[in-house]
Amino acid sequence: MIEVDQLVKRFGAVTAVDGLTFTVRPGHVTGFLGPNGAGKTTTMRVILGLDAPTSGTTRVNQKFYKELVRPLHQIGALLDATALHPGRTAQAHLTSVAQSNGISRRRVAEMLQLTGLEAVANRRLKGFSLGMKQRLGIAAALLGDPPVLMFDEPVNGLDTEGIAWLRQFLKALAADGRAVLVSSHLMSEMAQTADRLIVIGRGRLIADTTTAQLVESSTRKDVLVRSPRAAELAELITARGATVNREDDGGLAVTGLDAPAVGDLAAEQGIAVHALIPRTASLEDAYLDLTGESVDFRTASPGPTSERQEGAPAR
Amino acid sequence: MTAQVPVAVRARDVLASEWTKLRSVRSTYWTLLVAVATPIGLSALVAVTLANAPGNGPPVDPLLPGLLSLEYAVLAIGVLGVLTFSSEFSTGLVRTTFAAVPRRRAVLAAKAAVLGALTLVAGELVAFVSFALVQGVLSGKHLGVSLSRPGVPGAVLATGLLLFVVATMGLGLGAIVRHTAGGIAALVGLIFLPAILALLPAPWGGRVGRFTLLDAARQVTALHPAANLFAPAWSLLVLLAWPALTLLVAALLITRRDA
Repeated sequence: MIEVDQLVKRFGAVTAVDGLTFTVRPGHVTGFLGPNGAGKTTTMRVILGLDAPTSGTTRVNQKFYKELVRPLHQIGALLDATALHPGRTAQAHLTSVAQSNGISRRRVAEMLQLTGLEAVANRRLKGFSLGMKQRLGIAAALLGDPPVLMFDEPVNGLDTEGIAWLRQFLKALAADGRAVLVSSHLMSEMAQTADRLIVIGRGRLIADTTTAQLVESSTRKDVLVRSPRAAELAELITARGATVNREDDGGLAVTGLDAPAVGDLAAEQGIAVHALIPRTASLEDAYLDLTGESVDFRTASPGPTSERQEGAPAR
Repeated sequence: MTAQVPVAVRARDVLASEWTKLRSVRSTYWTLLVAVATPIGLSALVAVTLANAPGNGPPVDPLLPGLLSLEYAVLAIGVLGVLTFSSEFSTGLVRTTFAAVPRRRAVLAAKAAVLGALTLVAGELVAFVSFALVQGVLSGKHLGVSLSRPGVPGAVLATGLLLFVVATMGLGLGAIVRHTAGGIAALVGLIFLPAILALLPAPWGGRVGRFTLLDAARQVTALHPAANLFAPAWSLLVLLAWPALTLLVAALLITRRDA
């Protein structure tokens, strides 16, 4: 279990993590989502005792990281797969990590086998692809057979086969009763792997929920209606038990009544309808909605994007 | 699952890990080879030159060739020392290391121990081999000294300390500067720049020079100590103080900075 409590981390004038509180529970793959620069990596570094928090605390299995004896038996982590000495062999690298926590050479051999690196164990790491380095990092994280695992963007650099392998692997680790925290900036990736989600932006918690809940709450399905007699039409729709939200431009966002029903209702009352557009939003959109306010480095839009859902006016 | 692990076991674990790291990169072997081969070759050359010099009587301390040639190994062994920590910072490996061993001073101590042991053995090897070579050549001209002469074994042993001193000082600087080139520059600066101060006019040359690493090393290893420097015992302390202070600063900083 990982507990993050009121964590604040500042680097000079920049606040990377701003009062973050969450818990990573055993038995789940918890997705740690946020745009680049949201503070995911900083949070993970504080959890591992690498960066000192400005304020707040983090604990692993109820203990402060500094108190952990042989921490690799408590938590295995992969932050940066490329953080390796290029001249060392995979075998020597893993052995040095294992020895520091009293882990046997047999376990090293097992992890090389598990991650499919046996054949390249005696090659120097400078010849390794990013995908192979990711596998080596995962092997290192698993050395101590820890109940908690933490991976920072592990999908980067993996090919399609590697991604499928990793996804099954993470699920199997959680099914084993381990707490697994996996960061990503891609919602689509997490939706297929994680059953719990922690979404952050600009160092603050935006959502702490299950993937199923987020899908349900955010898969927006509504109908955009434009009419010269919008107020009248809104009343009629509300009377049918549906919900109407007025948009800034005068359009009505209707939920609880589908487009044909709204059209029929308007026709019955002789109310002209200038637009009648069913709208849906994907999980990715929901995530963008959640984090949209918190993106540090926004790309310039080539044109208006608010109209992207709208088609030609219907009459 | 590992609630109680004795401190001795933990220390052994970290030592084993650091020893694996040190012997699994090529730079260790290259720098050691240069640091061992250069002084042995040079001391033989200096001895031949001395033996064939015109005139009689030992023109210099018969032990000086051994030390002088070791000074040429300083750079190579210093690079090894700096790299032992700076390479972890430059690659980011240090984060894996510190996550595995949150007691960072234990990591620094283990690195100092394995590097210190290796360079001490290498240094003594060079010192005694150089001594044998030099005296072998000089004795042909009856200029040499025997290992049985009082003061000689101690001086030769002290000569061998130089690699150990410079390597561990480099290690500390690598941990402080966290950058290979910067660490090497700092090491060269601390060893060779103060040596310039020893050229100040008397009595200032000696007053300042006796605190420099190289003059302290010469004093410790001289058969006839210079009068304007510290006594050999004090010079030995000065010599060891350089790496000790560097490692102390490294130990203070290592827990205060984000990795």
